[in-house]
Amino acid sequence: CDHKYRSDIESSNKIHNLFSPFFSTAGIKKDIEKLYEAVPQLVNVFKIKEKIGEGTFSSVYLATAQLQTGYEEKMALKHLIPTSHPLRIAAELQCLTVAGGQDNVMGVKYCFRKNDHVVIVMPYLEHESFLDILNSLSFEEVKEYMFNLFKALRRIHHFGIVHRDVKPSNFLYNRRLKEYALVDFGLAQGTPDTKIELLKTTHSEDQQGSCSQNNSTVALGNGVSVSVTAPKQIAQQSASKAADKRSGSLSKIQIKQGRGGKEDSAHHSVQRSVFGERNFNVYSSTYQENTSTKLIKQSKVIDVSSRKLVTKKKIAPTKTVSSGAARRAASSCPSNLTCDCYATDRVCSVCLSRCQQVAPRAGTPGFRAPEVLTKCPTQTTAIDMWSAGIVFLSLLSGRYPFYKASDDLTALAQIMTVRGSRETIQAAKTFGKSVLCTQVVPAQNLRTLCEKLRGTNSGCKRSQGEVPGKSVNTAAGKAESDKPRAPDTLGKQTQHLGSFQEGNGALEMKATDMKGWDQVPDEAYDLLDKLLDLNPATRITAKEALLHPFFKDMRF
Amino acid sequence: GSLQLVKCSGLKNPFVKVEDRSRHYRPFYLQLPSFPVLNYCIPKPYSPFEVDKKHPSGQKQTQSKQRNKINSDKDCGTPVQLAQKDKKKRGYCECCGKKYEDLQTHLESEQHQSFAQSTQYQIVDDIISKFVYEFVEYKNDVKKIKRTKCST
Repeated sequence: CDHKYRSDIESSNKIHNLFSPFFSTAGIKKDIEKLYEAVPQLVNVFKIKEKIGEGTFSSVYLATAQLQTGYEEKMALKHLIPTSHPLRIAAELQCLTVAGGQDNVMGVKYCFRKNDHVVIVMPYLEHESFLDILNSLSFEEVKEYMFNLFKALRRIHHFGIVHRDVKPSNFLYNRRLKEYALVDFGLAQGTPDTKIELLKTTHSEDQQGSCSQNNSTVALGNGVSVSVTAPKQIAQQSASKAADKRSGSLSKIQIKQGRGGKEDSAHHSVQRSVFGERNFNVYSSTYQENTSTKLIKQSKVIDVSSRKLVTKKKIAPTKTVSSGAARRAASSCPSNLTCDCYATDRVCSVCLSRCQQVAPRAGTPGFRAPEVLTKCPTQTTAIDMWSAGIVFLSLLSGRYPFYKASDDLTALAQIMTVRGSRETIQAAKTFGKSVLCTQVVPAQNLRTLCEKLRGTNSGCKRSQGEVPGKSVNTAAGKAESDKPRAPDTLGKQTQHLGSFQEGNGALEMKATDMKGWDQVPDEAYDLLDKLLDLNPATRITAKEALLHPFFKDMRF
Repeated sequence: GSLQLVKCSGLKNPFVKVEDRSRHYRPFYLQLPSFPVLNYCIPKPYSPFEVDKKHPSGQKQTQSKQRNKINSDKDCGTPVQLAQKDKKKRGYCECCGKKYEDLQTHLESEQHQSFAQSTQYQIVDDIISKFVYEFVEYKNDVKKIKRTKCST
């Protein structure tokens, strides 16, 4: 179980601050030189200025190019890690060419290749760091932001692309120009009827219950694949199937290695945002980043997802394959024995001997929908809408990241504390999952929740200025008493806020002059509620979201 | 309800357990030291689920060098771990279908090189061939004064 699949990688765990004092500019210079060397066609075409992002699967550079139009333009050069499979590269390009270039979806200008080095050239959009601006945005700007995000999502969903990694760092935002761009199709999957040829899926049984595979074919989407397997590799992959995961802890396999050592150095603030690089442009503060990095690293859980490298067809075990491999390769779970542990607080040798279910889970922990977290094998574009809901939740609450979980089930537990445990369990049933949770936690009123977190009610106001360490120390106790308030109480609190500010000199509030935050309409929370619908089947679509009353005054 | 059966292990409270309703797959669960609590008093913009690093709540706190910087807005520059940029980069190569310990070494390996130079990238080239090349080469004003194109 020691294979790494890109698909399973938390895409958000590593932040690399290129601009910290500790990041050597000499190093960047060297990187730039190496890039020119690897792809010599770039030499006379681009003046590569700087590296603006570095993630697991790519590095992004800012460059200028002279165009035939006579203008010199800024470009973003995305250099993919040379271990990327050509099919994956091609699929990313196809998403960009087919769906990109309009409706706030990043397009592509050109692409250079030399051997395994591929550089995607995209227009450069200067953009904000989400965290930097989060608490200075006016309510109107938030509305525009979400509207434009939905436009991008409507566009890609129309083409049957599930982005899988919708989050602020993948949605570039230029506040001044009011320009937006959804980027990074590196984790994208196709819907069953996708219009992106290379994301087309042949629905594979591989997904169901097969264990780790080590194939050299690329599956883009739910197990589509193009078989490029060499005989030797077939043997290899079948053999690797035999590497049962029972040794791993339950359905989880601890991966020691993180996605490369980068994460370790991912400790510094990112003053510049990164262009289209996952993990990157959001964090200007170090704190949560480095902690989340740590947490995630430690408990990195890798499941096999459909975005892994997978073969199209079950490969018949060859002679070289061990009997165990043969058994595995013969598909489905070996043990379908029943036991009495189902829906109880117990596990036993019988249920634990079953094969783990395999479902896509690529993406970023705090943005994963419940059906992703619970390994629902059929995932749709609705997972992107959930992620958009999380972004909206951040915007409305002033908290980023909103969820802070090192693993899927912690994330699920955190979702329950917001959306309710009963509700979560109920919804999970609709997509075939039994969720058992020892804690019964009520659903929060979204308005109350967001206003308290944002501080636009007086709830925990004082803590805003407190030394964080202190407030955190006392946090648990306070949280206990901080039960959600009834709306009428809330109204009063809001009314009092004005005088409260005066008296207290709540600078922040004054400085921002409320910016519309004192009268967030119900429609906002209604839309949020529909985005964070625990049931993916009823969750609002991007198309519907654009027509939601929240946006009634927006023009298309 | 907790029943009693042999060979079964009971999960410790609090926990979350998820199982496919088909009962054909292995259940997965998480036993938490404490169930997450919405903490309204954590300052903006931090997550309401932020845990206090100074007093580990027992939740995966094994890493040594955790920084306890709730407060810092910007990195105030504590050099925690100097960029481990040069640290070997391990990973998985999709082309070769294998794990590697050091990226650079793997890229230079025979297997990878043969893939890199193979026709496998035709699918990428096919897409590239449809792009419109709209760049003008910068004149190499420093190195060569040879003009390849007539331009202004």
